[in-house]
Amino acid sequence: MPSNIMSETKKHLVEVKDLKTHFPIKAGVLSRTVGHVKAVDGVSFTIEAGKTLGLVGESGCGKTTVGRTLIRLIPPTAGAFTFEGEDIFVASTGRMKAIRRDIQMMFQDPYGSLNPRMTVETIVGEALGVHRISTGNKRRDRVVDLLKKVGLSPEHLNRYPHEFSGGQRQRIGIARALALDPKFIICDEPVSALDVSIQSQIINLMQDLQSQLNLTYLFIAHDLAVVEHISDWVAVMYLGRIVEYASREELYANPKHPYTRALLSAIPEPDPTRRKPRILLAGEVPSPSNPPSGCPFHPRCPLAEEQCRHQIQALLPKGDSDQHVAACWKVK
Amino acid sequence: MTDSIQTTKNLQKPIKGRSLWIDAIGRLRKRKLAMICFGIILFYVFIACYVQVAEWTGSSWPTNWDESTGQKYESPNAQNIFGTDIFGYSILRKVLYGTKISLQVAFFASILSILIGVPMGAAAGYFGGFIDDVIVWIYSTLSSIPYILLILAFALVLKDKTPFGFKLAGATTVYLAIGLTSWVGICRLIRGEILKRKESEYVLAARAMGCSGGRIIFKHLLPNTFHIVIITFSLRFMSFIHAEVILSFLGLGEKDKPSWGAMIDSARLDLPKGYWWEMTAATLAILIISLALNIFGDALRDCLDPKLRTD
Repeated sequence: MPSNIMSETKKHLVEVKDLKTHFPIKAGVLSRTVGHVKAVDGVSFTIEAGKTLGLVGESGCGKTTVGRTLIRLIPPTAGAFTFEGEDIFVASTGRMKAIRRDIQMMFQDPYGSLNPRMTVETIVGEALGVHRISTGNKRRDRVVDLLKKVGLSPEHLNRYPHEFSGGQRQRIGIARALALDPKFIICDEPVSALDVSIQSQIINLMQDLQSQLNLTYLFIAHDLAVVEHISDWVAVMYLGRIVEYASREELYANPKHPYTRALLSAIPEPDPTRRKPRILLAGEVPSPSNPPSGCPFHPRCPLAEEQCRHQIQALLPKGDSDQHVAACWKVK
Repeated sequence: MTDSIQTTKNLQKPIKGRSLWIDAIGRLRKRKLAMICFGIILFYVFIACYVQVAEWTGSSWPTNWDESTGQKYESPNAQNIFGTDIFGYSILRKVLYGTKISLQVAFFASILSILIGVPMGAAAGYFGGFIDDVIVWIYSTLSSIPYILLILAFALVLKDKTPFGFKLAGATTVYLAIGLTSWVGICRLIRGEILKRKESEYVLAARAMGCSGGRIIFKHLLPNTFHIVIITFSLRFMSFIHAEVILSFLGLGEKDKPSWGAMIDSARLDLPKGYWWEMTAATLAILIISLALNIFGDALRDCLDPKLRTD
């Protein structure tokens, strides 16, 4: 990340610097480590309070791992995550429990993310008990408040998850994430498992909540159209790295990195009479346990040259704006 | 405060949800055969309880099985509907008394194996690493020994020992031996299930919210694996009844009281002489409850397994 973006970090709620998450590959009788899957390999970004950063990329590029590492569900290999000026990765277990009140997570699968044996009241109110915030009727009132906030009604309190539709379940997941009044919510593909019509309801709900409660989102998704709708800033990930980072308007109007261009060309056009050029990528995403040399995108890149095979470019400003950065030798 | 009172008032009748348990019981009740089998099992349990209560209160029938009620080797007749044995004892009373011993052994052995197997399996699955290695090593070792041989060895070792001033004899030895050896199956099942479920998103959500490991195991993971415990309980119950029969037959179980195994053991010498009724009575008693437990256990599995009900 260039210094001109990092310099105005004072008002940033979230600062991630050079985050790496590697998983060891064990083999043999003695389970020796024979290599690493570099799921996340040097990711940096910042998010201002009350804003949304969209993190996009195809399956397996490490975007979910970024989210889970930030909330310390997966131990980080290297890097720092500064939240309100405090490094989360070095916090003690006790301190971490307190920090968890401010950082919450929303999950992708509306069926797998709710415990099927718990009632809605228990699911949404659990965090209030774990953090000893309220009990009994007070807790119930808080849960009712939360349910109303996400568009469910109090009569749903004693129901079980299997009695709800996918969209309703996702609303329960949002209520659970909001229970502790967090400041920062990591949204791990919260709408990708829903119907398109329900997607927009959930996205609008999330935007309403953001403006009401001044929430900050890290919005992880693979759907660029959804990201365009909700994000203020967008980071494009490929094979564990960010390849392009810009404000939403800039990125969608003026994509620089060939990978971003290929992704944007894949967004369906609602008007069937208009045809736009489609950039088709050859091949598959390489394995993160054995990434290509140089720029990780070069085996699939239409612009790749000799230099791309050996050297990787840092994220550098491209075009007119110094806030629009990309990691590519071929674009200026 | 007024606001909170109001919301609570509005909530006087929130709709009652149907939990997965209530759903499962509803489905089970629709299966006629399973309910008949459940009735048979309840009948056996009732007999066992009745005999136990009769023993406590000093009531005579059927605990007076060691009183002759006729000539020796009477074939089934109106007086002794299952006939009599070599001493002229009523075989009906012996079968009823044996029901108590068999069910008692199977019940305590099941409880013991669950009490050992479930916590071990949960710990191995959730914590992994060294704890998992040790527990897997122990149960792999135990399960590599032939089952009956292992129970026999335990029964022989435990027999007539007096730990904590409590003399181990008869049925107590048998259910300790069975319980201490047969937790392996449930432990392995629970470990696998916990391993699978600890990566699920609701567990991740609980961790992200700051739940402790104990809370995740007891509030999230075990309630979602408990149906497996119940299914295993019903299916293993039967094999524990069989194990008791085998141990008694081999002379390691109840000596002085008529369990089903002891009855088969004594009847085995009478059978060639044509006195078939003692063998038949004991075998029928075992056959009927085995069949009932098996059918009921299968139905239970069909109804409780959430994989058959995804939404």
